[in-house]
Amino acid sequence: MKEKVADTKEYWRWQEYHYVVPNKSWKSKDVITAGVDVGSVGSKAAIMIDGEVYAWAITRTGSNSPDSAKKVMDMVLDGTGLKQSDIKYTVGTGYGRVNVPMANKAITEIACHAKGANYIWGSKVRTILDVGGQDIKAIHCDETGRVTSFLMNDKCAAGTGRGMEVFADLLKIPIEEIGQVSLSIDEEPPPVSCTCVAFAKTEAVGLLRKGWTKEKVLAAYTRAMAIRMANLVNRVGLEREFVVTGGQSKNMGIVSRVENILGVKALPAPNWREGGLDPMVAGAIGAAALAKALYEKQGK
Amino acid sequence: MTKQTQERKYVPELPQKESEELRNAAKAMSAKVIAENIERMKKTNPQRPALMQYYDEIADFFGRRQKEIQEEKAKGKKVIGYFCMFAPIELILAADAIPVRVNSGWYDTSKLGDRIVPVEVCPVIRSTIGAKMISLSPYLELSDALISTLTCDGQTKLSEIMSDYTQVITMSPPRVKDSPQSLHLWKEEIKSVKTQIEELTGNKITNKKLREAIETMQKATKAFRRLQDLRKGNPVIMGRDAMLVNQTATWDNIKRWTEKTEELCNELEKRVQQKMWACPPDTPRVLVTGTPMYWPDNWKLPTLIEEATPQGVLVADELCSSDRLLYDPVGVDEWTMDDMLNAISERYLMASTCPCFTSTDGNEDRINWLKNKIKEFNVNGVIYYVVRGCMLYAMEYARIKKALDKMNIPVYYLDTEYTREDVGQMKTRVEAFLEMLTARVDF
Repeated sequence: MKEKVADTKEYWRWQEYHYVVPNKSWKSKDVITAGVDVGSVGSKAAIMIDGEVYAWAITRTGSNSPDSAKKVMDMVLDGTGLKQSDIKYTVGTGYGRVNVPMANKAITEIACHAKGANYIWGSKVRTILDVGGQDIKAIHCDETGRVTSFLMNDKCAAGTGRGMEVFADLLKIPIEEIGQVSLSIDEEPPPVSCTCVAFAKTEAVGLLRKGWTKEKVLAAYTRAMAIRMANLVNRVGLEREFVVTGGQSKNMGIVSRVENILGVKALPAPNWREGGLDPMVAGAIGAAALAKALYEKQGK
Repeated sequence: MTKQTQERKYVPELPQKESEELRNAAKAMSAKVIAENIERMKKTNPQRPALMQYYDEIADFFGRRQKEIQEEKAKGKKVIGYFCMFAPIELILAADAIPVRVNSGWYDTSKLGDRIVPVEVCPVIRSTIGAKMISLSPYLELSDALISTLTCDGQTKLSEIMSDYTQVITMSPPRVKDSPQSLHLWKEEIKSVKTQIEELTGNKITNKKLREAIETMQKATKAFRRLQDLRKGNPVIMGRDAMLVNQTATWDNIKRWTEKTEELCNELEKRVQQKMWACPPDTPRVLVTGTPMYWPDNWKLPTLIEEATPQGVLVADELCSSDRLLYDPVGVDEWTMDDMLNAISERYLMASTCPCFTSTDGNEDRINWLKNKIKEFNVNGVIYYVVRGCMLYAMEYARIKKALDKMNIPVYYLDTEYTREDVGQMKTRVEAFLEMLTARVDF
């Protein structure tokens, strides 16, 4: 009889990476700024040279914020030839923003995502849906990327990155394929009724027992989460152009369903696999951009 | 039959040992929170007026004021606790009784209340039940009777639950504020409460006594308004300090409170002359409206606002636990009993902006109050604060938001619970809101 081997594959694990924009260089007189976004699940960092993105990095947040900030900062500096001391001003953001040791100032991820979306997609962006590791935010901004209003979900991981990781593990589907898999169904099933991750998990197990395929279960969960996000966007007031940032911007199952419910297409995200600006780093990019503004203001 | 031997309608008896353990733990936590709140208020404004020391002492539930009330009670005075700000304080004072507000601001006891009522119920109610179950609140325990106005559903059923322990005098406010029969009903309620207070205390409320009490409260109102007026200009006092002054009026000796508050205002006026500000004059000015915030645990939001990066300052509020308390005086034309009772009825009903009311145009009084405050106090942004389960405030938000949008005043809906666990999340919301208010200057 064959012994049952425990499945130790980490389905929830997503790609940690760093990227340096090619054919770009820096001189010591340039205004070099950084943004460090320590989220509940992912830590992100971005470096700007005179207000233009030069490098970025993404890694998993560890058990403490200062270490995660240092780790992602080391990653983003790697291969740039830059040292920490070359950076003129750093803004810390995200859940761990007050614990970023190298930061000159802390700014909320809400302001940073708005500024970052403005940088990535341009001044036409008005509504941003940021789906992070542990919360969802719907943000309104003006043509300069300044926040004009926002809403945030309550303390609950439903529909967030962390919730998706739990489902990836439960259904044994690698997290980076989860969007495609959720779309690979013939007909959209009704959404799961529980939005709480813990309860949704129980409900999902029940559906699997009932004979639902895991694709169908995933689609039902993804749909429920998309409804929740769309509600938040509608409550803040949907105004075009609309974009999605944060880790879940990479989940096509979420993005396409949110678009479907809202009846509006989100501006397409640059392809990060080919060196495009990664919307998951929008907060860090925004932080680096605000760092430049603050540095210049300080100099005056 | 005495209350003790009657069968309880709601509340099961807690084993004495468990009750004692829970009380000691809650008391220790309360002492810690009170000390920490005061410490943080001092830290926020290093030049915090020395006169605040008085209010810090009164704010200690287990300290000086408790002892005073105990002593007066030993001499034969009755203590009348009350829940909403509809209880006619003048009548309590005129009967030589001690008025003291007893709504609970303790987070931990709300979990105890869960044993009696579901978690969907407003935490202010659940927490008050819990406090009573373990005899935590000195003022609740010292009360010979409780005046409970049936403002919301929670308050209505809370009255029944409280009657398991103490005599409860209920007052039924009309729901439609602007009809003649409403004012008539309310006046009858006031008269009935007068009789019940007289019976309880054995003291007749005479013309002379009532006039004295009204004049005492008019003086308190004058001091109260003077303090709020001082908050209209550059910040000369932090919002949390002003809130503490306002709220201690509900359990302090009101004559002494009035004297101290006039003294504080003298000091603050000097500071205005010297341009000695509690925080930088360009600090964003925030107004808070919604569910009442009772000391000590509900200092959560004001603390977040005034300790945030960027910092905000609470310049005004529309809370029945603070700026609304003593704002309106009882206006008497002729000092006859009938006219005084009329004036009291009108003051407690017509001046209220509580969302338990509606009128021909809904709760327009609340919108008008907010609009005026926003203009007078130069408010930059409004935080609409609701604890989950506080249905009336939650439902009125949509209309208030529309009215404030028209004034181009940013408003943020912040919902929370009787818990310390969501401070991190709340901090992000509050700071993002304050960043939004300062954005024009900063970026």
